[in-house]
Amino acid sequence: MNHYALTIIGRDHPGIVSRVTEILYRRGCNIADSSCSILGGQFAMLLIISQPEEESGEDLLHYFAPLEEENLSVFLRTLRPGGEIRLHLQGELCMVSVYGSDKPGIVYRVARELGEREINITDLNTKLIGSEQRPVYVMMLEAMLPAGMSVKDLEQAMAAVAGELQVDISVRAINPVEL
Amino acid sequence: MAVRDILLYPDPRLKMVCDTVPEGQDLGPLIQDLLDTMYEAGHSVGVAAPQIGVPLRVVVVDVSGSKLGRKNNHGCLVMVNPEILEREGSMTMREGCMSVPDYTGNVTRAEEVLVQFHDRGGTGRVIRAGGFEAVAIQHEIDHLDGYLFLDRVSSLKTDLFRRKQR
Repeated sequence: MNHYALTIIGRDHPGIVSRVTEILYRRGCNIADSSCSILGGQFAMLLIISQPEEESGEDLLHYFAPLEEENLSVFLRTLRPGGEIRLHLQGELCMVSVYGSDKPGIVYRVARELGEREINITDLNTKLIGSEQRPVYVMMLEAMLPAGMSVKDLEQAMAAVAGELQVDISVRAINPVEL
Repeated sequence: MAVRDILLYPDPRLKMVCDTVPEGQDLGPLIQDLLDTMYEAGHSVGVAAPQIGVPLRVVVVDVSGSKLGRKNNHGCLVMVNPEILEREGSMTMREGCMSVPDYTGNVTRAEEVLVQFHDRGGTGRVIRAGGFEAVAIQHEIDHLDGYLFLDRVSSLKTDLFRRKQR
Protein backbone atom coordinates (compact mmCIF):
# COMPACT_ATOMS: atom_id res chain seq x y z
CA MET A 1 0.00 0.00 0.00
CA ASN A 2 1.36 3.41 -0.92
CA HIS A 3 1.66 6.08 1.72
CA TYR A 4 1.81 9.76 0.94
CA ALA A 5 2.44 12.97 2.79
CA LEU A 6 -0.16 15.49 1.68
CA THR A 7 0.15 19.18 2.43
CA ILE A 8 -2.59 21.67 1.64
CA ILE A 9 -2.51 25.31 2.48
CA GLY A 10 -4.61 28.29 1.53
CA ARG A 11 -6.53 31.30 2.79
CA ASP A 12 -8.76 30.10 5.59
CA HIS A 13 -12.46 29.72 4.90
CA PRO A 14 -15.12 27.22 5.92
CA GLY A 15 -15.28 23.99 3.95
CA ILE A 16 -11.62 23.27 3.23
CA VAL A 17 -11.48 20.08 5.31
CA SER A 18 -14.69 18.88 3.76
CA ARG A 19 -13.42 19.48 0.21
CA VAL A 20 -10.13 17.73 0.85
CA THR A 21 -11.56 14.75 2.70
CA GLU A 22 -14.24 14.22 0.07
CA ILE A 23 -11.55 13.76 -2.56
CA LEU A 24 -9.65 11.39 -0.26
CA TYR A 25 -12.78 9.42 0.48
CA ARG A 26 -13.69 9.07 -3.20
CA ARG A 27 -10.18 7.82 -4.01
CA GLY A 28 -10.36 5.23 -1.21
CA CYS A 29 -7.65 6.92 0.82
CA ASN A 30 -7.22 6.53 4.55
CA ILE A 31 -6.00 9.36 6.74
CA ALA A 32 -3.45 7.72 9.00
CA ASP A 33 -2.24 10.82 10.79
CA SER A 34 -3.01 14.50 10.50
CA SER A 35 -2.49 17.91 11.94
CA CYS A 36 -4.48 20.87 10.69
CA SER A 37 -4.52 24.40 11.99
CA ILE A 38 -4.91 28.04 11.16
CA LEU A 39 -1.52 29.69 10.87
CA GLY A 40 -1.86 33.40 10.39
CA GLY A 41 -4.72 33.69 7.92
CA GLN A 42 -3.88 30.40 6.24
CA PHE A 43 -5.42 27.04 6.90
CA ALA A 44 -2.71 24.39 6.79
CA MET A 45 -3.33 20.68 6.51
CA LEU A 46 -0.64 18.08 6.95
CA LEU A 47 -1.79 14.53 6.38
CA ILE A 48 -0.25 11.11 6.10
CA ILE A 49 -2.53 9.11 3.86
CA SER A 50 -2.58 5.58 2.51
CA GLN A 51 -4.15 4.40 -0.70
CA PRO A 52 -4.77 0.73 -1.34
CA GLU A 53 -5.34 1.25 -5.08
CA GLU A 54 -1.63 1.77 -5.73
CA GLU A 55 -2.22 4.78 -7.90
CA SER A 56 0.92 6.73 -8.62
CA GLY A 57 1.41 9.96 -6.74
CA GLU A 58 1.02 11.86 -9.97
CA ASP A 59 -2.31 10.22 -10.74
CA LEU A 60 -3.56 10.90 -7.25
CA LEU A 61 -2.45 14.51 -7.36
CA HIS A 62 -4.54 14.96 -10.47
CA TYR A 63 -7.73 14.60 -8.38
CA PHE A 64 -6.72 17.57 -6.28
CA ALA A 65 -6.48 19.89 -9.28
CA PRO A 66 -9.87 21.51 -8.52
CA LEU A 67 -8.47 22.65 -5.18
CA GLU A 68 -5.67 24.53 -6.90
CA GLU A 69 -8.36 26.42 -8.79
CA GLU A 70 -9.80 27.42 -5.43
CA ASN A 71 -6.46 28.93 -4.43
CA LEU A 72 -5.42 26.05 -2.23
CA SER A 73 -1.87 24.84 -2.76
CA VAL A 74 -1.52 21.08 -2.81
CA PHE A 75 1.71 19.16 -2.39
CA LEU A 76 1.92 15.38 -2.42
CA ARG A 77 4.96 13.33 -1.60
CA THR A 78 5.19 9.57 -1.96
CA LEU A 79 6.72 8.05 1.16
CA ARG A 80 9.29 5.29 1.03
CA PRO A 81 8.10 2.01 2.51
CA GLY A 82 8.02 2.39 6.28
CA GLY A 83 8.12 6.17 6.05
CA GLU A 84 4.67 6.39 7.62
CA ILE A 85 5.71 4.56 10.79
CA ARG A 86 6.41 6.72 13.79
CA LEU A 87 9.83 6.19 15.32
CA HIS A 88 9.71 5.01 18.88
CA LEU A 89 11.55 7.69 20.79
CA GLN A 90 12.78 7.02 24.26
CA GLY A 91 13.93 9.62 26.69
CA GLU A 92 12.65 12.27 28.98
CA LEU A 93 9.99 14.52 27.51
CA CYS A 94 10.08 18.16 28.38
CA MET A 95 8.44 21.41 27.45
CA VAL A 96 10.39 24.53 26.64
CA SER A 97 8.56 27.86 26.76
CA VAL A 98 10.27 30.85 25.21
CA TYR A 99 8.82 34.33 25.21
CA GLY A 100 10.07 37.85 24.86
CA SER A 101 9.95 40.90 22.63
CA ASP A 102 9.84 39.88 19.01
CA LYS A 103 13.09 39.73 17.10
CA PRO A 104 14.48 37.62 14.28
CA GLY A 105 16.32 34.41 15.14
CA ILE A 106 14.60 33.24 18.32
CA VAL A 107 13.46 29.91 16.89
CA TYR A 108 16.74 29.29 15.11
CA ARG A 109 18.89 30.07 18.12
CA VAL A 110 16.91 27.81 20.44
CA ALA A 111 16.59 25.03 17.86
CA ARG A 112 20.32 25.13 17.15
CA GLU A 113 21.06 24.64 20.80
CA LEU A 114 18.73 21.64 20.91
CA GLY A 115 20.01 20.15 17.67
CA GLU A 116 23.62 20.33 18.80
CA ARG A 117 22.67 18.29 21.84
CA GLU A 118 20.77 15.65 19.85
CA ILE A 119 17.53 16.77 21.47
CA ASN A 120 14.57 15.80 19.33
CA ILE A 121 11.87 18.44 18.86
CA THR A 122 8.56 16.57 18.78
CA ASP A 123 6.20 19.53 18.63
CA LEU A 124 6.63 23.23 18.05
CA ASN A 125 4.20 26.12 18.05
CA THR A 126 4.89 29.80 17.82
CA LYS A 127 2.61 32.79 18.03
CA LEU A 128 2.94 36.53 17.99
CA ILE A 129 0.91 38.01 20.81
CA GLY A 130 0.81 41.31 22.66
CA SER A 131 0.01 44.60 20.99
CA GLU A 132 1.08 45.92 17.61
CA GLN A 133 3.36 48.41 19.30
CA ARG A 134 4.89 45.86 21.61
CA PRO A 135 4.74 42.47 19.98
CA VAL A 136 5.64 39.49 22.12
CA TYR A 137 6.89 36.31 20.58
CA VAL A 138 5.84 33.05 22.19
CA MET A 139 7.28 29.66 21.33
CA MET A 140 6.30 26.43 23.00
CA LEU A 141 8.10 23.30 22.07
CA GLU A 142 8.12 19.74 23.25
CA ALA A 143 11.36 17.89 23.05
CA MET A 144 12.71 14.47 23.87
CA LEU A 145 16.02 14.47 25.66
CA PRO A 146 18.61 11.86 24.70
CA ALA A 147 19.54 9.22 27.26
CA GLY A 148 21.76 10.57 29.99
CA MET A 149 20.60 14.17 29.68
CA SER A 150 18.51 15.70 32.43
CA VAL A 151 16.03 18.54 32.38
CA LYS A 152 18.52 20.43 34.57
CA ASP A 153 21.21 20.14 31.88
CA LEU A 154 18.84 21.60 29.32
CA GLU A 155 17.80 24.32 31.73
CA GLN A 156 21.42 25.41 32.03
CA ALA A 157 21.92 25.47 28.30
CA MET A 158 18.73 27.47 27.83
CA ALA A 159 19.68 29.98 30.51
CA ALA A 160 22.67 31.01 28.41
CA VAL A 161 20.48 31.37 25.31
CA ALA A 162 17.90 33.37 27.26
CA GLY A 163 20.56 35.82 28.35
CA GLU A 164 21.90 36.19 24.85
CA LEU A 165 18.47 36.67 23.22
CA GLN A 166 17.03 38.70 26.09
CA VAL A 167 14.00 36.46 26.31
CA ASP A 168 12.52 34.31 29.06
CA ILE A 169 12.93 30.59 28.73
CA SER A 170 11.60 27.95 31.06
CA VAL A 171 12.06 24.22 30.85
CA ARG A 172 9.90 21.75 32.64
CA ALA A 173 9.56 18.01 32.58
CA ILE A 174 6.36 16.55 31.22
CA ASN A 175 5.64 13.30 32.96
CA PRO A 176 3.05 11.43 30.99
CA VAL A 177 1.21 9.34 33.55
CA GLU A 178 -0.57 6.09 32.80
CA LEU A 179 -3.61 5.60 34.96
CA MET B 1 -5.82 -13.95 42.91
CA ALA B 2 -5.18 -13.07 39.29
CA VAL B 3 -3.80 -10.50 36.96
CA ARG B 4 -6.58 -9.76 34.52
CA ASP B 5 -6.38 -8.50 30.95
CA ILE B 6 -7.11 -4.82 30.58
CA LEU B 7 -9.88 -4.15 28.08
CA LEU B 8 -8.83 -1.89 25.26
CA TYR B 9 -10.98 0.74 23.64
CA PRO B 10 -13.17 0.34 21.50
CA ASP B 11 -14.47 -2.41 23.75
CA PRO B 12 -18.04 -1.17 24.45
CA ARG B 13 -17.75 -2.16 28.12
CA LEU B 14 -15.45 0.81 28.63
CA LYS B 15 -18.21 3.24 27.68
CA MET B 16 -20.90 1.87 30.00
CA VAL B 17 -22.16 3.45 33.19
CA CYS B 18 -21.35 0.96 35.96
CA ASP B 19 -23.80 -0.31 38.56
CA THR B 20 -23.72 0.71 42.19
CA VAL B 21 -22.50 -2.14 44.37
CA PRO B 22 -25.33 -3.33 46.63
CA GLU B 23 -24.58 -3.44 50.33
CA GLY B 24 -23.21 -6.74 51.57
CA GLN B 25 -21.94 -7.97 48.19
CA ASP B 26 -18.70 -9.94 48.45
CA LEU B 27 -16.12 -7.99 46.48
CA GLY B 28 -13.04 -9.77 47.81
CA PRO B 29 -12.00 -11.58 44.63
CA LEU B 30 -12.75 -8.56 42.39
CA ILE B 31 -10.75 -6.19 44.60
CA GLN B 32 -7.81 -8.59 44.72
CA ASP B 33 -7.86 -8.93 40.94
CA LEU B 34 -7.89 -5.15 40.56
CA LEU B 35 -4.93 -4.77 42.93
CA ASP B 36 -2.99 -7.61 41.29
CA THR B 37 -3.63 -6.13 37.86
CA MET B 38 -2.58 -2.63 38.96
CA TYR B 39 0.63 -3.74 40.68
CA GLU B 40 1.57 -6.18 37.93
CA ALA B 41 1.46 -3.35 35.38
CA GLY B 42 4.25 -1.74 37.38
CA HIS B 43 3.83 1.81 36.23
CA SER B 44 0.07 1.92 36.77
CA VAL B 45 -1.38 3.84 39.73
CA GLY B 46 -5.01 2.88 39.34
CA VAL B 47 -7.47 0.48 37.77
CA ALA B 48 -11.24 0.62 37.56
CA ALA B 49 -13.44 -2.49 37.55
CA PRO B 50 -14.84 -1.84 34.04
CA GLN B 51 -11.28 -1.98 32.70
CA ILE B 52 -11.24 -5.69 33.53
CA GLY B 53 -14.78 -6.16 32.29
CA VAL B 54 -16.71 -5.88 35.56
CA PRO B 55 -19.45 -3.23 35.37
CA LEU B 56 -19.41 -2.30 39.05
CA ARG B 57 -18.46 0.94 40.79
CA VAL B 58 -15.14 -0.18 42.23
CA VAL B 59 -11.69 1.34 41.69
CA VAL B 60 -8.26 0.92 43.21
CA VAL B 61 -5.69 3.72 43.37
CA ASP B 62 -2.17 3.75 44.77
CA VAL B 63 0.16 6.58 43.86
CA SER B 64 2.57 5.96 46.74
CA GLY B 65 5.11 4.21 44.50
CA SER B 66 5.24 6.93 41.87
CA LYS B 67 7.60 9.88 41.85
CA LEU B 68 4.72 12.31 41.46
CA GLY B 69 2.56 10.96 44.25
CA ARG B 70 5.13 9.80 46.75
CA LYS B 71 4.89 12.79 49.04
CA ASN B 72 1.16 13.23 49.20
CA ASN B 73 -1.00 10.12 49.27
CA HIS B 74 -3.29 7.87 51.24
CA GLY B 75 -1.47 4.68 50.30
CA CYS B 76 -3.45 1.91 48.70
CA LEU B 77 -7.06 3.00 48.26
CA VAL B 78 -9.88 0.61 47.50
CA MET B 79 -12.97 2.62 46.67
CA VAL B 80 -16.41 1.10 46.42
CA ASN B 81 -19.21 3.35 45.14
CA PRO B 82 -16.94 6.41 45.21
CA GLU B 83 -18.47 9.81 44.85
CA ILE B 84 -16.72 13.14 44.52
CA LEU B 85 -18.35 15.60 46.91
CA GLU B 86 -16.17 18.63 46.29
CA ARG B 87 -13.66 19.78 43.71
CA GLU B 88 -11.21 22.63 44.10
CA GLY B 89 -8.56 24.23 41.93
CA SER B 90 -7.33 22.92 38.64
CA MET B 91 -4.23 21.29 37.30
CA THR B 92 -3.20 19.88 33.97
CA MET B 93 -1.34 16.65 33.51
CA ARG B 94 -0.33 14.61 30.54
CA GLU B 95 -2.49 11.55 30.97
CA GLY B 96 -2.44 8.17 29.37
CA CYS B 97 -4.52 5.11 30.04
CA MET B 98 -3.88 1.37 29.88
CA SER B 99 -7.15 1.04 27.94
CA VAL B 100 -6.01 3.54 25.31
CA PRO B 101 -2.40 2.62 24.59
CA ASP B 102 0.03 4.76 22.61
CA TYR B 103 -1.71 8.06 23.19
CA THR B 104 -1.38 10.71 25.84
CA GLY B 105 -3.06 14.06 26.13
CA ASN B 106 -3.26 17.05 28.43
CA VAL B 107 -6.19 16.83 30.78
CA THR B 108 -7.24 19.54 33.20
CA ARG B 109 -8.81 18.28 36.40
CA ALA B 110 -9.52 19.49 39.92
CA GLU B 111 -6.39 19.86 42.02
CA GLU B 112 -8.12 18.72 45.17
CA VAL B 113 -11.13 16.48 45.69
CA LEU B 114 -13.22 15.37 48.62
CA VAL B 115 -14.28 11.78 47.98
CA GLN B 116 -16.76 9.59 49.78
CA PHE B 117 -16.59 5.82 49.39
CA HIS B 118 -16.70 2.48 51.15
CA ASP B 119 -13.37 0.81 51.74
CA ARG B 120 -12.43 -2.84 51.39
CA GLY B 121 -13.94 -3.66 54.77
CA GLY B 122 -17.21 -1.90 53.92
CA THR B 123 -16.50 1.09 56.16
CA GLY B 124 -17.75 4.44 54.93
CA ARG B 125 -14.91 6.95 54.48
CA VAL B 126 -14.39 10.49 53.30
CA ILE B 127 -10.93 11.65 52.30
CA ARG B 128 -9.46 14.80 50.86
CA ALA B 129 -6.92 14.06 48.14
CA GLY B 130 -4.69 16.47 46.27
CA GLY B 131 -2.24 16.63 43.38
CA PHE B 132 -1.47 13.49 41.47
CA GLU B 133 -3.59 11.34 43.79
CA ALA B 134 -6.60 13.57 43.11
CA VAL B 135 -5.99 13.29 39.37
CA ALA B 136 -5.72 9.51 39.58
CA ILE B 137 -8.95 9.26 41.58
CA GLN B 138 -10.84 11.44 39.09
CA HIS B 139 -9.46 9.44 36.16
CA GLU B 140 -10.55 6.13 37.70
CA ILE B 141 -13.98 7.38 38.77
CA ASP B 142 -14.50 8.64 35.21
CA HIS B 143 -14.17 5.01 34.06
CA LEU B 144 -17.22 4.14 36.17
CA ASP B 145 -19.33 6.54 34.10
CA GLY B 146 -17.94 5.44 30.75
CA TYR B 147 -15.61 8.39 30.34
CA LEU B 148 -12.10 7.96 29.03
CA PHE B 149 -9.41 10.61 29.31
CA LEU B 150 -9.99 11.19 25.60
CA ASP B 151 -13.32 12.74 26.59
CA ARG B 152 -11.43 15.27 28.69
CA VAL B 153 -8.34 16.06 26.62
CA SER B 154 -7.70 19.71 26.08
CA SER B 155 -5.44 20.97 23.37
CA LEU B 156 -2.20 22.51 24.38
CA LYS B 157 -2.47 25.03 21.62
CA THR B 158 -6.05 26.02 22.30
CA ASP B 159 -5.38 26.33 26.00
CA LEU B 160 -2.41 28.51 25.55
CA PHE B 161 -3.79 30.88 22.99
CA ARG B 162 -7.48 30.91 23.81
CA ARG B 163 -7.19 34.14 25.80
CA LYS B 164 -6.09 36.01 22.74
CA GLN B 165 -9.46 35.58 21.08
CA ARG B 166 -11.47 37.09 23.91
